[in-house]
Amino acid sequence: MVKEECKALLDALSRVTACYRHMVLTIGGTSDSQNLREELKKTRQKAQELAVANRNKLTAVLKDKAVSKEDKAEFERLWVIFSTCMEILEIDMRRALELGQEFPLNVPRKHLIQTGMSGGTSGVAARAMSVQNMKYEAEHNIDVVDLKDLENEINQVGEMMYEMEMKVNVPQWTVEAKQDPGAELKSTISVGASSIGMISVEENKSFCDISKVLAGIIFSAVLIVAIVLAVCVVKLS
Amino acid sequence: GSFAHWGQSARGSSMFIEALIMEMQNPETGIKMHTQRVMITNIPHAMTGSDILQWIIQHLKIAEEEALNLGNLIVKYGYIYPLQEPKNLTLKTDSSLYRFQTPYFWPTQQWAEDDTDYAIYLAKKNIKRKGILEEYEKEHYNLLNKKINYKWDFVIMQAKEQYRTGKERKKADRYALDCQEKAYWLVHRTPVSRTPLYTAVKSIIYYQQVLMKSTVKSSVSLGGLVKYSEQFLSNDPIMSGCLPSNPWITDDTEFWELNAKLVEIPTRMRVERWAFNFNELMRDPKGRQNFQLFLKKEFSGENLGFWEACEDLKYGDQSKVKEKAEEIYKLFLAPGARRWINIDGTTMGVTVRGLKHPHRYVLDAAQTHIYMLMKKDSYGRYLKSPIYKEMLAKAILPQETVKKSSSFPFARRQLRSSPSPVILRQQEEEAKAKEAATNVDITQVMSKLDRRSQLKQEPPK
Repeated sequence: MVKEECKALLDALSRVTACYRHMVLTIGGTSDSQNLREELKKTRQKAQELAVANRNKLTAVLKDKAVSKEDKAEFERLWVIFSTCMEILEIDMRRALELGQEFPLNVPRKHLIQTGMSGGTSGVAARAMSVQNMKYEAEHNIDVVDLKDLENEINQVGEMMYEMEMKVNVPQWTVEAKQDPGAELKSTISVGASSIGMISVEENKSFCDISKVLAGIIFSAVLIVAIVLAVCVVKLS
Repeated sequence: GSFAHWGQSARGSSMFIEALIMEMQNPETGIKMHTQRVMITNIPHAMTGSDILQWIIQHLKIAEEEALNLGNLIVKYGYIYPLQEPKNLTLKTDSSLYRFQTPYFWPTQQWAEDDTDYAIYLAKKNIKRKGILEEYEKEHYNLLNKKINYKWDFVIMQAKEQYRTGKERKKADRYALDCQEKAYWLVHRTPVSRTPLYTAVKSIIYYQQVLMKSTVKSSVSLGGLVKYSEQFLSNDPIMSGCLPSNPWITDDTEFWELNAKLVEIPTRMRVERWAFNFNELMRDPKGRQNFQLFLKKEFSGENLGFWEACEDLKYGDQSKVKEKAEEIYKLFLAPGARRWINIDGTTMGVTVRGLKHPHRYVLDAAQTHIYMLMKKDSYGRYLKSPIYKEMLAKAILPQETVKKSSSFPFARRQLRSSPSPVILRQQEEEAKAKEAATNVDITQVMSKLDRRSQLKQEPPK
């Protein structure tokens, strides 16, 4: 039971990290906007919440002496996945700070880089936050104001990772990956996702697609019937 | 990979290029944008190579050749990437299309988790292309799978997540994102270079040696650093001030005069430093002079003499290396030499063999042996000797002088220039020559006595 909970938490963290990466990639380009900055803020805060939850759960389990040897090995494997994820997250947060400082949004002489991007990232943010739609409520100067918070959060994450390294003694290199090279080719459909939000987003999308296809079929059927009737009318008259 | 040097040496130029890129975005004075048509999608912000070149020429007011060089650099380092020939990282001056790279992928020095990110990228590409990777990418993939195997589960996990998240972007953006990422890794990861076997073998040997090196706990080395700082704090002129006064502040050069290399009577702080450790004594020419007096009394003056000759060989005129090495051999190392030094057979053997092809470090082994001998044997006794204690008692304790406030603010200060280094060097050479001539060691005396007694023993005819 604990193993499933840990895996679910880790999946969630990995998802949010991937979303954050997508957003940080967008800073400074033509899709950058005030909304993006708000999305970045909310996503990284969600990431930090999940990080703390993961850390608490995993450290509790790793300290438990009653855990069997196989289970312990599995938890150590999850721990390595967790700390690697944190490394990526920390780097992206630092990058977000640098880029945020380099590309303020409300300075007329500073232009965004024409990267070929034109769409927004609200879908990505919704995926990260496990919601249907994002609500935007930030002040117009969030691009500047948020940087201070970001700096503090980077320090917090750094401290957390340092503590993790000091308190939990898991030698990383002793963990063997469960997945072989090329494992990613076997299945690209969502595996092991237990978060309701994510499943509903996927279902939503497929439902929309199906309804669109149905509508298309019905329309073309009606069109064919109308043409046949018109031909009949012409022929009979 | 091949990118390491860029970050270290080119911080200034990267800022310059970044500023240039930002200028290119100006809606009025920037580069003309076109739309790129990819099948049924339109992707904005494409520019021709010739437009880029012309813009650089006009905005920087430089010649075409220089502008082309700059343009090539900009593409090489990935600020702009080609759309039609992604692997050709040069600026073509025709209608070939280029696009700006997103700032996240601009070159930067701090890119720590490079391997993990590249692995994720390759795994993502595997998913998208259903296993079709280029040969060199397959090699990188397999190498990374071995190198960071313990992270591999995360790599797969994150690759899948990033791939799925991409579906939340609109189609044109997804295409542009793919191009960006591909361009970044084409810049940063060149095909795996085949290391010739001998370099691989050399690397293995090197790493085996490194593994065998003795290591010190950081608590120990930091403790040493703290101890050193505490010991030398009082001697640091910036931290603890200096007596009589800081010449840079008071314009009074007495401090330097009192602490001259071979001053008649040194300062108390200087003499106390000689007791900190053997190295402090040996670094100070005055300390060596005093130490030599002691060693002569103990009949081991040749040791320090030899050490100083080795220093001269190492740091002196290299055109005279051969002659110097020969002289040192004749004086200190040859059997029956006037100032013969006592080193073990192995070291002597190594040294004599090395002297066949002399160079500045040929006497290192012998010099180290003699240094350790003096340190372990003579140094302790020296510090307890009357010679050292006398010097300590004689040593000067300078009084603090107050800054002379000039009554006339524009008074021209008498600035005496210090003696020319050329003259100083001549004086040193003369002093050395005088000392060498008067050097009488026990071996000389003993050999003289020997000869006299031999003469006496000859039966009179």
